Amino acid sequence: MLLAGNIEYTPQEMIVVAGARILEDKKVVFVGTGLPMIATVLAIRTHAPGIIPVFEAGAVGPTLESGLPFSVGDSRTSSGASYVRGLNAAFEMTQRGFCDYGFVGGAEIDPYGNLNSTMMGKFPEEYQKPAVRLPGSGGASDMASSCERTILIMPHEPRRFSETISYITSPGYLDGSPGARKRAGLTGAGPWRVITTKAVMDFDPETRRMRLLHTMPGETPESVQAATGFTLGIAPAVTGMAPPTETELRMIREEIDPLGVFVKKPVREKPVPNQF
Amino acid sequence: MEKSSEMFWTGLTPDEARQALVRKDKSKRDKRCTLEDAVARFIKDGDNVAVGGFVNIRQPIAAVHEMIRHGFKDLTLSFQSGGMAIDYLGGAMAVRPDHFSIRRVEMAYWAHESFGLSAVFRHLAENGLIELEDWSNYNMSARFKAGAMGLPFIPCRSPLGSHVLEKCRAKVIDCPFTGTPIILLPASNPDVGILHVQAADHYGNCIIRGTDATCPEIAMASAHTIVTCEQLVSHELITRSSKDISIPFMAVDAVVHVPFGAYPSSCRRHYYFNREHMATFHGLATMARKGNLDGLRAYYNDYVFGTKGFQAFIDHFPIRKILEEQHSEQQNFERLA
Repeated sequence: MLLAGNIEYTPQEMIVVAGARILEDKKVVFVGTGLPMIATVLAIRTHAPGIIPVFEAGAVGPTLESGLPFSVGDSRTSSGASYVRGLNAAFEMTQRGFCDYGFVGGAEIDPYGNLNSTMMGKFPEEYQKPAVRLPGSGGASDMASSCERTILIMPHEPRRFSETISYITSPGYLDGSPGARKRAGLTGAGPWRVITTKAVMDFDPETRRMRLLHTMPGETPESVQAATGFTLGIAPAVTGMAPPTETELRMIREEIDPLGVFVKKPVREKPVPNQF
Repeated sequence: MEKSSEMFWTGLTPDEARQALVRKDKSKRDKRCTLEDAVARFIKDGDNVAVGGFVNIRQPIAAVHEMIRHGFKDLTLSFQSGGMAIDYLGGAMAVRPDHFSIRRVEMAYWAHESFGLSAVFRHLAENGLIELEDWSNYNMSARFKAGAMGLPFIPCRSPLGSHVLEKCRAKVIDCPFTGTPIILLPASNPDVGILHVQAADHYGNCIIRGTDATCPEIAMASAHTIVTCEQLVSHELITRSSKDISIPFMAVDAVVHVPFGAYPSSCRRHYYFNREHMATFHGLATMARKGNLDGLRAYYNDYVFGTKGFQAFIDHFPIRKILEEQHSEQQNFERLA
């Protein structure tokens, strides 16, 4: 059981809090669906009120005050936005260099930050009949290609952190060789942080392999390694991430995602009868 | 030559797409018709049909229900991110493959974001029942844009280095100016685009609220475009804010007034999602994926095949529920009453 003071919280809530804390104020953040939305709203309402969220369906700089979006295209992302066009306009901004951070998730990740959200099974042989078919790229591969820095959010399980993944949907540092992204023609600098239920990782500047940067409360370098399917490097100074504050937890639970759409609450509470 | 052109252009080739517009009657005329007529007249077996909206935003649900009732074979579906409209089409193939079938999908994403994966997609893909071509959202959107621009291809920077490029028709070349790698995406010129918008006049001028998604590009790229609208307004009213018109009448072939035409997906200013109904459908689709098709069949019999027109579909929902969806959207939207 994880405790912040006397308040029980979940590893998923910790991911959101960590995601919010590492976002800088006054930056343009291209926000994917789900946990990245919660983390971005939390950052805006705590230390980074100047963040400019961008959603791939076309909205730039909405206030996000009319409730948590269920989709990166829903009405709640358009309300109060400074600029609303469509997908081409949003991705053109990313390609042009307007977007400082991209917030991406996936089903599988390798040591170089390459992400899979397309299929499980043998590629290319089983592509037309995969063992498990996942949704596909959506905007994730565009974000990972062209946002200046990307933040990857994943549950931390050995099978999801794998030396080789079934399919590279969203490019990270590719094969990790020096200049691999630039050689491929990618303009964004690449993966910057990986935030999971157990740790925050960055990438070794030389080898481009993922390494441990912060442990989440209750975790040790050993427990993080045990949950990782490849050998994790260790950053020069590994520090612990402080547990969520009461304010952060209250904001997530009561203000940002009161229905637990993306962030499940630790205590079984009375179900809310109807979100509408 | 014929074979390679078939491979590269699953809809129209760039030259065919241009000829289609040269031949088309582009006059400013009354294009109102019934959905039944529009679907029967403009879509045929084997067509490449582009589906508008984004995940569960402004999906052309009424139009896809009519397509399912009509029955088509061997369609190619082109879209960036698809939700309920694509699920309805795929589910129809799962329950009545003799009556309705999709041969191929060209897409970036088929799922429901916060509502989860698509059991319909998993069923069709994991059983090898449809031909897949993955792209990214920007790739698909830019492909429609290239089609709209009258170009055979458009350059793009993403996703270089990924596996997406290995199974699609994109080509990576060295940019002739900078020498660095760049992707060339083949244009998409679908045979037909189907779109739902907030407002249109009887000539087909359209206003979209909230995200445009890739609807204007689809309309401009397709040989034919069918538009359903929440509000059918006068030409005088819609041209009072001409710069708000994102689809011009010349691109549109059929205008059908269908209130709630995107329900149970959402339509800005009109209604938010019906989450419960989408969850019910996903539950039935999940059972179908696991081998029990009875529930999904019963759903299609009740909600799609057994209804005459989209208003009968809407009649399945209690007025209280419909009002909740409307009210909910008004809360999302900071417009004065």
